Amino acid sequence: MTTAARTLMGAVAIVLAATATRAAEWTPPGPISMLIGFRAGGGADTQARLIAQELEARHGWTIQPQQVTGKGGLNLAAALKDAPVDGTVIGMVVTETLGYNMAAAGAGLHPDDFTGITTTAGFQMGVVARRVTGWATLEDAIAAAKGGAALRFGVMSPRLADLAYLLGKAQGVTFNIVEMRGGKAVMDGINAGDLDLGFVAGIQAASVAAGDLVNLASALSVPLNQTPEAPTFATLGVDFNADGQFMFVGPAGMSTAARSAMSTAIAEIISDPQTGAGALIASAFGGPSILAGDALQAQMAADYDAAGALLAAASE
Amino acid sequence: MDVLAHVWLGILAVFQGPDAFAVAGLSVSITLVMVAAGFLLGIVVGATPGLGGPTAMAIALPILISVFGFTPDALLPVMGCLIGIMKGATVGGAVPAILFNTPGTPDSYMTTLDGYPMAQRGEAKKALRVAHFASASGDTFSDIVLILCAPFLALLVERHLDLPEKTALLILSLAFVAAVVGRSPGKGLISAGLGLLVVYVGTGEDFYPRLSMGTEALNRGFPIGTAVLGVLVVGAVFHQMAEGFASRSNTSLQPAPKAGNAGRLRWPDIRPLLPTMLRSAVAGTVIGALPGIGSTLAATIGYTTAKARHDRTRAPDAPRFGDGVPQGVAATEAANSAVSGANLIPVLSLGIPGNTAAVFLILAADSIGGFNPGPSVFRVTADAINPELVVAFGLFTCMFVANALNWTVGGLVMRSMGVLAHLPKQRLLPVVLVLTLTAIYVQETRIEAIWFTIAFGILGFGMRLLDMSPLPFVIAFILGAKLEDSARQAFAATGGDAWFLFTSPVAAAFMALSVLVVVLGARRRG
Amino acid sequence: MSRAETRTLGVICVIFALGCILVWIPLDTDTGLIETVRRRVEIGDAMAPTLAALFVLVGGAILCIAPGEPARGAGAKRPLLFCAAAMIGVLAAGVVLMLCAGPLALWLADAGRAEPREYRLMRDSFPWKYIGFVLGGTVAISGLIALAERRMTWAALIIGLVGVLGMVALFDLPFDDLLLPPNGDY
Repeated sequence: MTTAARTLMGAVAIVLAATATRAAEWTPPGPISMLIGFRAGGGADTQARLIAQELEARHGWTIQPQQVTGKGGLNLAAALKDAPVDGTVIGMVVTETLGYNMAAAGAGLHPDDFTGITTTAGFQMGVVARRVTGWATLEDAIAAAKGGAALRFGVMSPRLADLAYLLGKAQGVTFNIVEMRGGKAVMDGINAGDLDLGFVAGIQAASVAAGDLVNLASALSVPLNQTPEAPTFATLGVDFNADGQFMFVGPAGMSTAARSAMSTAIAEIISDPQTGAGALIASAFGGPSILAGDALQAQMAADYDAAGALLAAASE
Repeated sequence: MDVLAHVWLGILAVFQGPDAFAVAGLSVSITLVMVAAGFLLGIVVGATPGLGGPTAMAIALPILISVFGFTPDALLPVMGCLIGIMKGATVGGAVPAILFNTPGTPDSYMTTLDGYPMAQRGEAKKALRVAHFASASGDTFSDIVLILCAPFLALLVERHLDLPEKTALLILSLAFVAAVVGRSPGKGLISAGLGLLVVYVGTGEDFYPRLSMGTEALNRGFPIGTAVLGVLVVGAVFHQMAEGFASRSNTSLQPAPKAGNAGRLRWPDIRPLLPTMLRSAVAGTVIGALPGIGSTLAATIGYTTAKARHDRTRAPDAPRFGDGVPQGVAATEAANSAVSGANLIPVLSLGIPGNTAAVFLILAADSIGGFNPGPSVFRVTADAINPELVVAFGLFTCMFVANALNWTVGGLVMRSMGVLAHLPKQRLLPVVLVLTLTAIYVQETRIEAIWFTIAFGILGFGMRLLDMSPLPFVIAFILGAKLEDSARQAFAATGGDAWFLFTSPVAAAFMALSVLVVVLGARRRG
Repeated sequence: MSRAETRTLGVICVIFALGCILVWIPLDTDTGLIETVRRRVEIGDAMAPTLAALFVLVGGAILCIAPGEPARGAGAKRPLLFCAAAMIGVLAAGVVLMLCAGPLALWLADAGRAEPREYRLMRDSFPWKYIGFVLGGTVAISGLIALAERRMTWAALIIGLVGVLGMVALFDLPFDDLLLPPNGDY
């Protein structure tokens, strides 16, 4: 998370307190479809379903979760784009969907076609390797690469592949970038020795604590919670980072009442560690990271515009 | 954490998992209840002509997932229930085969050959007991082999196979399935090729959903359930109904024979069966461990080898196979039941499904999440618990629970199922059809899924009409994404080496074998 | 199947596979067989489908060259095809009815209202959520039974209705989150 985002988060918290009653003032006109852009059973899917359950319990809304996966969230975005704007259709994706993926796909989808409701949590995205490699920091891995080893770098999205390429470029080495299906597959590949290093977005915590894996670097703009001494991408000479959050989104032109009622209700749930969703976010995603309203809309636009620079840099 | 700790955790997960209810202060875990429920359901569907394990698993899966949710806690109850169905159906299939000369499942066809003559002689009870005894023995044998082999095979793969070799292994399994299943390798290749082509619609690495013809209906691809259930279940229903309709005859059952003697099996009855059963169990286990060739072939091989041996060794005046010899029943049932454990060897150790029952276990693991069948399941790390390994040992425990049920109450339940053979197919199958479509809709929640399933049903019907096995299609559909991913990964990992499948000796050997099985298959039957 | 039939199947498969490889796949993928990304050659999205079509091509070629022995089931296929077509027709009619019946019923019920309700918002309310499924499902089941028995009977109708109500009891009553057909589409 950027410092600007942190400040915003504080501001949002204050606004939330002021508007806490709004959730009660809005009643959905019918059952709400919650589209989930992640495969069933994973951490992201569980997060969405727990939030849905708690929304039903607290506000008496009817929420029908539904999987719409594939193409980095773009399939969900395509299905959501022309949905009714009365708050009865929302979706959960990552900020990357509306930023990099929409910019790279060029399929006629734009963040302006959507209403940002709220972000929920970020990722603890690290560059991870096995302890048995003997590497303590990224420098060691780079030294090995310069010594002639062809290193395999696991990634789980095109944006991360670009970042891995730029990291290699900044450090003067060439990685063999291998795209896997999800962070779990990257971690399995690293553990099996099929990959030498790779991006993992938080699920490495237990193995890092147990000493099987090491965080060589933070792919974020800030250090990792678990391994604050690992260098960030900025200090490694990469002008871009893997910052991103899970977010709820609706179609463009969504009613203001529905939008603020939902963002308030969701923020209350994920900030409360007593709820299932809050507990999950605290344990697996490093705590809630809430950005809503116009600030979120502005960040969506900024992410989309910034994606062009990353795409250009990675194709050089 | 060492392996034994994981074994123990797996057993505990089954017996001490979330409780279903308590009896006299002893709580009964939900997983145990589900295994038992699945086993009984399996016997029922196995004993009902026109239904079988795959249909029951297909319909049960969405209901089970709705009950247990998408959490790792759901894995054991859901997969335990499916395992129960799989085992129950194998036992149940023998009932109508023996009593009415109508196989309940395809692999119990051979059971009719000696089972029905025995029943006509008034030895129905004895035939059922022989079938049950052989089935339970074959099953137990196979499970033991599974538990001994799967972890070692997985470790071997994990330790020695790199990305290119894993790709080559997938190609070999697919070539094997295409060449060996069914009667013609040409048709097998077509079936597998179509399965691959279909799974590649809407997927791919690029943001453009390939082969979607610009339609929104196709840009998410075909959901796995629509293809698998469409071709396997809906296609079979279409075919059975059309055949019944076209033959114009209301399929009348053979007359039910007299109940006959109570016929408890005693040691003198059992002893002569044992060598036959052991040979059949070994044959079934070996066949089960190979991907793609299922219990029907195992039953055929078990029966024909036993018959050949019997013909060589029998006394001149002794009855022949086909006259109602208990060995005939035992040979078939031991072989087809021995498939059910061993077919999980490639699933659990390599992630490659060997037959339709295994396909549904993969489907369940895939839908629930948190368990990815494959070599990584069997990894043991120094400090942390590997939850997937616990699930794997939990599944093994479920199999033994199902075995125990089979030995204790299975025979009794099975012998009471004769009445099911009277259910009229033409009234049952339409209900099964709509139930299957509903089960798919409930998971996918869009009407395209129903249209896709019907379309795949038409494809499955056409394949049966053309004598083309739908199994290569289904297995190719399931392995397709994995095959493409691993090829891309291997290519990228080797730094873009176009010959990545041939540079290592192991990968090259797998590739050579792939060509060899297809060529040999084509020659042998060409 | 006779040898001639097997050969015909082979020829059809070869033509289909060539059509895929030369027309459909190149036109309907964006990245070609291989592509260059981040200065590296990668496998493109057209590679896997092309290889799949090659499987079909080789299989078809084998059937053309070596059609093998005439297989069993050489009997008349025309009646089977006819029945299958009739069955699929009945089934499709049931599914279409499933889609339309609910909204139609709501539209009729609200005909006199100033503000007719949207089916989308009523898809989770009794009785609207059941109308399409029960009607369409019963028509499909009873129709198929009637087709197989060559006459419409009360028994067929009752089996259809009881079967569908059983499915409602199985999927809808115990689970809040599950949507019966066609309610996920509204």
